Amino acid sequence: MTAKNIDLSVDFAGVKFKNPFLLSSSPVSNSAEMVAKSFEAGWGGVVYKTLASGRWPIIHPSPRMNPYHHGSTRMVGLQNVEQISDRPLKDNLLDILYLKKNYPDHPVIASVMGFSTEDWQYVAKAAEDNGADMLELNFSCPHMTIEGSGHKVGQATALLEGFTEAVKKVVKIPVMAKMTPNITDITEPAVFAKKGGADAISAVNTFRGISEIGRDDWVPKPNIFGVGAESGYSGPAIKPIALHFIADMAKCKDLGLPLSAIGGIETWVDVLEYLLVGATTIQVTTGIIHYGYRIVEDMAEGLRDYMASKGIDKVADLIGKALPNLQETDHFDLERQGRAEYNYEICVGCGQCYIVCNDAAGQALEWDAEKRRPKLIEDKCLSCMICSFVCPVPDLITFKEMRKDWQRKETAIMDPGLEKELKYQPFEEVDLRR
Amino acid sequence: MSYAEHFQDMEKGIGLAHAIAEADRCLLCYDAPCSEACPAETDPATFIRKLRLRNITGAIRTIKENNILGGACGVLCPTSQLCEKECSATGISRPIEIGNIQRFLVEYGWQSGFRVFEKPEVTKEKVAVVGSGPAGLSCAAELAKEGYQVTVFAERGEPGGMIRFGVPAYRFDKKFLKNELQDLYDLGVEVLCNEKIEGSEGAEKLLADGFAAVFLSPGVWGTPRLIPNAENIKGVVTYPEFLVGLREERFEEFGKQVMGKTVAVIGGGSVAMDCIESASKLGARDVYLVYRRSFAQMPAEEDERLAALRLGIHFLLLNQPVDYLTDSGGKVTGMKLIRTQLGDPDDSGRRKPIEIKGSEWVLNVDFVVEAIGQIPDKTVDWSSAVRVDKKGLIVADSETGKTSNGRIFAGGDIVRGPGLVVEAVQDGKLAARAIAKALAKA
Repeated sequence: MTAKNIDLSVDFAGVKFKNPFLLSSSPVSNSAEMVAKSFEAGWGGVVYKTLASGRWPIIHPSPRMNPYHHGSTRMVGLQNVEQISDRPLKDNLLDILYLKKNYPDHPVIASVMGFSTEDWQYVAKAAEDNGADMLELNFSCPHMTIEGSGHKVGQATALLEGFTEAVKKVVKIPVMAKMTPNITDITEPAVFAKKGGADAISAVNTFRGISEIGRDDWVPKPNIFGVGAESGYSGPAIKPIALHFIADMAKCKDLGLPLSAIGGIETWVDVLEYLLVGATTIQVTTGIIHYGYRIVEDMAEGLRDYMASKGIDKVADLIGKALPNLQETDHFDLERQGRAEYNYEICVGCGQCYIVCNDAAGQALEWDAEKRRPKLIEDKCLSCMICSFVCPVPDLITFKEMRKDWQRKETAIMDPGLEKELKYQPFEEVDLRR
Repeated sequence: MSYAEHFQDMEKGIGLAHAIAEADRCLLCYDAPCSEACPAETDPATFIRKLRLRNITGAIRTIKENNILGGACGVLCPTSQLCEKECSATGISRPIEIGNIQRFLVEYGWQSGFRVFEKPEVTKEKVAVVGSGPAGLSCAAELAKEGYQVTVFAERGEPGGMIRFGVPAYRFDKKFLKNELQDLYDLGVEVLCNEKIEGSEGAEKLLADGFAAVFLSPGVWGTPRLIPNAENIKGVVTYPEFLVGLREERFEEFGKQVMGKTVAVIGGGSVAMDCIESASKLGARDVYLVYRRSFAQMPAEEDERLAALRLGIHFLLLNQPVDYLTDSGGKVTGMKLIRTQLGDPDDSGRRKPIEIKGSEWVLNVDFVVEAIGQIPDKTVDWSSAVRVDKKGLIVADSETGKTSNGRIFAGGDIVRGPGLVVEAVQDGKLAARAIAKALAKA
């Protein structure tokens, strides 16, 4: 199979997308000019930046974002106090008309938000009337400055169900509800959205976070003239957590809706992982804020080549394929054990493995100071594998399963002589009634 | 014309982002070979880890507490032969830019106003340091930290010795040195300029004047002459005359003799490389490097040799100067050279150049710089105060700087002959420890 034969198109809640890569509702989908450029770059569709009725003015705080850098890696996380679209509703509707006229095969999902039932219905209808292929109900913005909106709705399941129902009453196009991750169990509000009639779920919106605090003024950033706020945190740093939310919803038997995944996606590997835990489409903002629309080329090319190498010709065949392997921890086979295996031939002698094994693991490494090389004491290895995480040489340290009769040495006690001072009896022998 | 732009300022160092990227690349070795490799006990493994963990002030402290000239070493050290040569990251891609990081951290401290040192309380004896180069400054700093009252006697108008007057400004400029000296002044060290200590008599006078000990580190500022009586030929100078002259900013004087002219530099070491680059920057039309052995045998670092080639210097290898030609006014017009061929290895282990009979020829030149070696200044005699060897170098223990005189210590080039800044720094440190030990006993 060659990459040319791979079909990246997906059917998502009855809408056909040429590929699963969408812009999420955010600054990257703020106008037709921007969205058109993204379509030219290869994005399959857009969730257009959230529209509102215009009854309440939307004013953006300034400045509105702050990065979380790690060492020389920039923007592993991003915090924003971005609001919904501050453009007039009419301008946004004109832009949606333009996109549908010029890019008819690129679905436009209009993100909408209201502040009352009538509000929700008004905006939803306006979007449908002007060509939107689908709606996304924004129940999840973590920093709307208007009370009774954003993620506060997402946390109030009755409101969420009611608004979904109200919107469904006035439109024919599919409706997707966008979930907040600022909740313990995401399946709960998702199921309420389904009860309200939602056709799909998108998740996650940003996490409430604090990316940085000014070291001179002690004001959390972004510093809005002396005031900071807990607000939407996104980017690669939150991907593992977002992945778990998607997996939870995909596994939820009561839900059973198609999912559009959002959270720290930059590469085809990120996309693949979201597909494998059950997403049908994916949405990106922070990745575009970091690199621009061009990243879609690498997502598409990388995913195609991967699928070709696995003999998979359509995206649908990847969706949810990791879920059967995702279990609770009590499903582990604890009989099977292994240890780290070292290929000393390719070692460069930095000794980071030695440091971490001794300070954070099983003290299973010795150091040959002469040769400047680690030496594994095999039966002390806990198989935590942290040595391989710090090792700069790929595949030098690998996991090796051991035979059933292999025994790991117990951690030695420092001074057996202290036993005579020990106050201890095994649990079964202690009488707590005394 | 303004020579300042060519001579006054060195290239900028790396910035914060570059330094952090390098720190991120560091493998943070368990028994870091870089830290083992430094002659002056510099600990890159620690200061790079501190930078990585955003402890920048701590990183600066690590460098400066060990080496008062940490900035200078970051700039001038042949790191590719020392710390970076041993770097484990070479096994992944390429060595960490340790010298660049070190320089960055020290400069970052100056820019951000972070001061490493507070003035220690003087609780101990007076100690004199003769010579204000790397060995002397390093010794002075260590002693001051221990509570000694230290006075440095600098021969010239400003302190720094070789790094002030011997190294071209485009490699190490005055502004940088001024900042580095301020760290020394923070320690309460007193530096007296234009105070030449004249040999044994001067050293003994210091002891008589109440200094409990003396550290001698005057450096080696003399040079052998190639051809007898060449000192009277106009347009033929030695490397100290040329390089020191430029560091004294006598640009017009040398510019007149060099700009648009043909210059020859004799020698194959790092100093010769500084001379050819300086001549080139002064606007020489042609610069010849005349060396009696081959390219591979030149003592200069490979980087320096390649840089000279890139500058367009003409390398006249396997040629031995035998005489100068002059005009009626006594000004040099040419240099008589004889071609050589390499024979068997000599004492230095390098193959010896053998003159080819009858191969003499004349290279027309307007200006010649002799850079054929650094030896002690013959006009200064230390021999009645301390034991001196045949070359005029002071005999001192390499671990302590102890001389034949119990109250006189010595280090730097005057003991080891021309060496690295980092080696002189270590000599100063070791001598300071020995001086403190000796005085504590007394």
